[in-house]
Amino acid sequence: MRAEFETAAKWTVGLLGLVLALLVASALVAPDSVAGEVLDRMLDAGYASAVLRVSVPITFAALGGIFAEKTGIINIGIEGFLILSALSSVIAVVSLTGAGVDPTAALWLAFFVGIAVSVVTAGVFAVFVIRYQANQVIAGLAIWLIALGLAPFVSLVVFETVNSPSVGTFGTWRIPILAELPGVGPVLFDASPMVYLMLLAVPLCWYVLRYTRLGRYIRACGDNPRALDTAGISVSRTRYIGVLLSGVLCGIGGAGFTLGQLGRFVGAGETSIGGRGFLGIVAYLFGNYNPIASFGGALLFASFDALQFRLQEIAFLNVPQRLLQALPFIVVILVLMLVGRTRIPAALGEHYDEKE
Amino acid sequence: MSTAVQLEGITKRFPGGVLANDDVDLTVEHGTVHALLGENGAGKTTLMNVLYGLYEPTAGTVRLDGDAVSFETPQDAIQRGVGMIHQHFTLVRPMTVLENVALGWEPVKYGGLTIDEATIEEELRELSERYGFGISEHIHTPVEELSVGTQQRVEIVKTLYRGADVFIFDEPTAVLTPQESEELFGVFDELIDQGKTLIFITHKLNEALTVADRITVLRDGRTVETFDTEGATTQELARKMVGRDVLLRVEGRERDQGDPRLVVDSLSVRTNQGLPAVDGVDLTVRGGEIFGVAGVDGNGQTELVEAVTGLRDVESGTVAFDGTDVTGLSRRERMNRGLAYIPGERQEQALVMAFDLTQNAVLGSQHREEFRDGRQIDWERVRAHTAEIIDTYDVRPPDPTVLARSLSGGNQQKFVVGREFLRDPDIVVAAHPTRGVDVGSMEFIHEQLIEMSERGAAVLLVSASLDEVTSLADRIGVMYDGQFVDVVEPDAVTKTELGLLMAGQHPDEPDVCREER
Amino acid sequence: MRERIEWLFGVVLRFSAAERVLVSLSAVVFAIFVGGVVVLVAGYAASCESAALYILGAPVCYNPVEVYLVMLEGSFGDSFSLAATLQWTTLLLFTGLSFAIPYRAGLFNIGAQGQFILGSLATTVTLLWLADLAPSGLAGTLVLVPVGLFAGTLVGALYGLLPGYLKVRFEMNEVITTLLLSFIAADLAFVAVDRFFTTDDIQGTVTDRIPEEATFSPLVFPSSTDFSLPVFVFALVVVAGCYWLLMRTAVGYDIRAMGAQPKAAVFGGASQRFTTLFSMTAAGAVAGLGGAIYVMMILGRWQTGTPPLGFDGIAVSILAGNNPAGLLPSGLLFGALESGGRAIQLRLGVPSELIEVLRGIIILLVATPELFRLLGAHLNRRGIIDVDTGGSD
Repeated sequence: MRAEFETAAKWTVGLLGLVLALLVASALVAPDSVAGEVLDRMLDAGYASAVLRVSVPITFAALGGIFAEKTGIINIGIEGFLILSALSSVIAVVSLTGAGVDPTAALWLAFFVGIAVSVVTAGVFAVFVIRYQANQVIAGLAIWLIALGLAPFVSLVVFETVNSPSVGTFGTWRIPILAELPGVGPVLFDASPMVYLMLLAVPLCWYVLRYTRLGRYIRACGDNPRALDTAGISVSRTRYIGVLLSGVLCGIGGAGFTLGQLGRFVGAGETSIGGRGFLGIVAYLFGNYNPIASFGGALLFASFDALQFRLQEIAFLNVPQRLLQALPFIVVILVLMLVGRTRIPAALGEHYDEKE
Repeated sequence: MSTAVQLEGITKRFPGGVLANDDVDLTVEHGTVHALLGENGAGKTTLMNVLYGLYEPTAGTVRLDGDAVSFETPQDAIQRGVGMIHQHFTLVRPMTVLENVALGWEPVKYGGLTIDEATIEEELRELSERYGFGISEHIHTPVEELSVGTQQRVEIVKTLYRGADVFIFDEPTAVLTPQESEELFGVFDELIDQGKTLIFITHKLNEALTVADRITVLRDGRTVETFDTEGATTQELARKMVGRDVLLRVEGRERDQGDPRLVVDSLSVRTNQGLPAVDGVDLTVRGGEIFGVAGVDGNGQTELVEAVTGLRDVESGTVAFDGTDVTGLSRRERMNRGLAYIPGERQEQALVMAFDLTQNAVLGSQHREEFRDGRQIDWERVRAHTAEIIDTYDVRPPDPTVLARSLSGGNQQKFVVGREFLRDPDIVVAAHPTRGVDVGSMEFIHEQLIEMSERGAAVLLVSASLDEVTSLADRIGVMYDGQFVDVVEPDAVTKTELGLLMAGQHPDEPDVCREER
Repeated sequence: MRERIEWLFGVVLRFSAAERVLVSLSAVVFAIFVGGVVVLVAGYAASCESAALYILGAPVCYNPVEVYLVMLEGSFGDSFSLAATLQWTTLLLFTGLSFAIPYRAGLFNIGAQGQFILGSLATTVTLLWLADLAPSGLAGTLVLVPVGLFAGTLVGALYGLLPGYLKVRFEMNEVITTLLLSFIAADLAFVAVDRFFTTDDIQGTVTDRIPEEATFSPLVFPSSTDFSLPVFVFALVVVAGCYWLLMRTAVGYDIRAMGAQPKAAVFGGASQRFTTLFSMTAAGAVAGLGGAIYVMMILGRWQTGTPPLGFDGIAVSILAGNNPAGLLPSGLLFGALESGGRAIQLRLGVPSELIEVLRGIIILLVATPELFRLLGAHLNRRGIIDVDTGGSD
């Protein structure tokens, strides 16, 4: 646990350093220069809010990944969970509003539909890897590839185009008084409910893993399943729980991203999820499976992801949009080089035969 | 005295037909230590796994305190007060002692919102004090930071915490120094004083005689006999265990020794975790000599062997074969210079289990000229070579297309020994060459090692078995904490002295308390 | 660790070559069945003018049987369809190899897509650059074809080497890096063409046409098709070469041993560094070569929206048991799905993404041999297959 705190501390310091460096740079650079303008546009409350919003899918994917991997199941299928929950939440909104349901109620109902679909997908994945001992990497990959084909397929069938029409989003919840605070107020207290949910989920997941019986079983399960088994706790049950929780969290990530920020589903190319599930995986590898440190990693990637939306606005820079899309992935690879090896659960990827 | 455990006519047949236990009877009295003695493969562990609910017996009855019971899982056994301490600890390494002890049995507070750590800690301290385990200061330490002996005590505390009355110990001393073993036997006494019943699986005759009140000998899955310890002798037990008279020592021999062939000079090596494992070791093995390395597992023997065989980078120092410095040479180049290596982890290292014997016969020689046909491997010649290994070393079944995995442990080892020795090596490194093999193969492998040395090879033999080292080696280096405590001639020391050396104490020096590793 | 090894052996042991072929076949049959259900449900949800069939009175737009028949016809029905199938098969042989080679070394190359894209771009750029310099006619072909193939192979190889290097130097998991690198490749190629190589002739992110001398013209097949038989033969030669490399040579032995049991491979003198770098580079090279052929045989230029042939390659390889010997039938199946997918979209309006769903299901099922073992044991009550023997002490 000490090591995990160190990692968390390392990341917090790193992020603060990054923000500080940017602030210093903005002070030093002449305000009317190009760099000055760029920094000026970037470093405002709007950017910070965007980072938080963009980090929602990455963070939830990371949390989902932690729960699966801590029980010993490699979950490469996270991206697939996000894609399917994103699509199904949009379909649900469209059909519910079409059926005359109040738009806000429709959004919330659709949010839960997205989660449910993700959980069902996770359930299928779990049965394959736990009950039928599928190769976990390949099965996870298959889940992603199925989602990558199924999502545009369904979208074409339902909407007759791979990209869905736009639907509403949750908007922001403004918390009185706190939102007036200078600096953090508009960022932290005038945000999408999905952001609040994320800020709650991160410490909650950390607490569950650290202080509850379930958390202990999950950690033991990934490290020495035999110890858990001989203690009278079913290894496969614990693993099912881990993967299903993974489904819940990824469902929140996919549906939350879609209904909280984007307002539509894009089925073209790598879909609107566009690798954010994989960024989540890298985030928890960074964070050494600690939810709080992983959140730090997610914020870091999100800060580059959010640049896409910010730098495009600065027309004279003329940065190709696709280059900005690739930016978070490039950053991830560079940072992974510095982070080095993560300590993975000892029994990760191994099938456990209970009757042996 | 009353009967604590009674096994009647236990038969266990595995799917696939292996008969591990055949109509075994065992009666254990309350408050006694009962040793279960037998060779590897005699069915001891299987029998105890039946008692512990891990296996369901094919036939037979298990009785506890006279009641017939049927355990489907270890939890049923634990509920009835039967606990087992396995050879491989069932501890979660990154978790603390407290977390491990309470795993699965945690009391909770606030409706399950959090674990009641205070209660666990209190009980843990109480247990630790009552039995003198001395783990109180480690309660919040991750178990991976503890020594093996302490980890074992954590296992015992865990079993106690779960309320066990009957303890099954599976080869508990295999990983301990003689001194740690003594401490363990002290714990045994405490447990007996508190009214517990102990079943103790071992293949070490002396231990059984020292510790147990009664001994049951198993052979080939059957009960041979049950003795009272009083009056039993080592020879008698050995005969029962093996089924015939055995030579407990190889005949002494005289040999001419040649030039130094393997020279290790102030070698330092680190573990995978970057900790110092071998610390400035010097070592010279002459042609015709067998140099034994004794020591408790984990004192740097593995790293020393790996550095010599080219499987691990050295931190400083040199390794030389026949006067040539090979420190910078790859494993393949070292093999080309006449190195043969019989590793301890036979199934993990020496054979590719999913390959057949033909493919395995060329492992290590795949790039050599003699097996090359243009740009590809000359599989015809490899097949001929495979047949030679199988014939010469009597590998059964004699089928080159069988997968390595489906051979028995002894036959796997014979195949490995054959492959390595048919290279006609100048330098032989053997680590635990007879671990887990049957007695017949063991004698054969010993003969082969002697023959290699008689042909002029330098042999470096690492073994956890004192008998093996003392009977084969010309000189013995005792390793402790990455260094040779002393290099002795086998005839010049007693077992007790060796034991002390293995614990890092020089017999001539005053007794120093052994620190935690 | 040991339990894991034993389990892996168990999987290998319990499934002989014949059984693995059986598993692959069953997976395909299963996937086709599940795909049929997906089509039915989709047909129920879709809206259309005239229903293809009625189930319990409800109109269903697509008839699964019809869909599969059209697919079959669209892939083998006439010489045009057959040419399309073989054209995709040719490319899938390369991307399939790109997954199979590292897999034998115990590595997952999920990045064939990126290596393929960059290879195809490199070939295009090189050929465009040489267009004015090279002689015309046969001499031009003799210069441009090898150079074009080499450019794609080289860039693909380098882009495969990169994750290999990241693995040996920084211990970065290749599943993650190859995947991310393939996203990056798609974006970078787009930006590069958009900024530097775009043509004025047509709209979109497209380059000029490569010189005619560097393209492969159809032989035997109709001239309007994009399939060249000699190229297909060349692909088969490459596959055979990789089979020979893996199964017959010492380097192949090192790779297979490393994939089966790293500790034993290292004991036998193989170097994990070398097998990782070598197999990843080889994987990138064949994927890049596939990209070169994609440009030179099919497109004649580079344009965005490269079909997911790299990802299909994963399915091709897994279905083939990651053995080059199985790549041809497996590649044919996926080639047929690819051309059949276009046919169902064109003629029935069923989205061709259906075949991507089939692809995923096939991968999932082939990765789960245990499912078929249990199924087999269930169907055959006598229990034809031996269960795990367990340990005796």
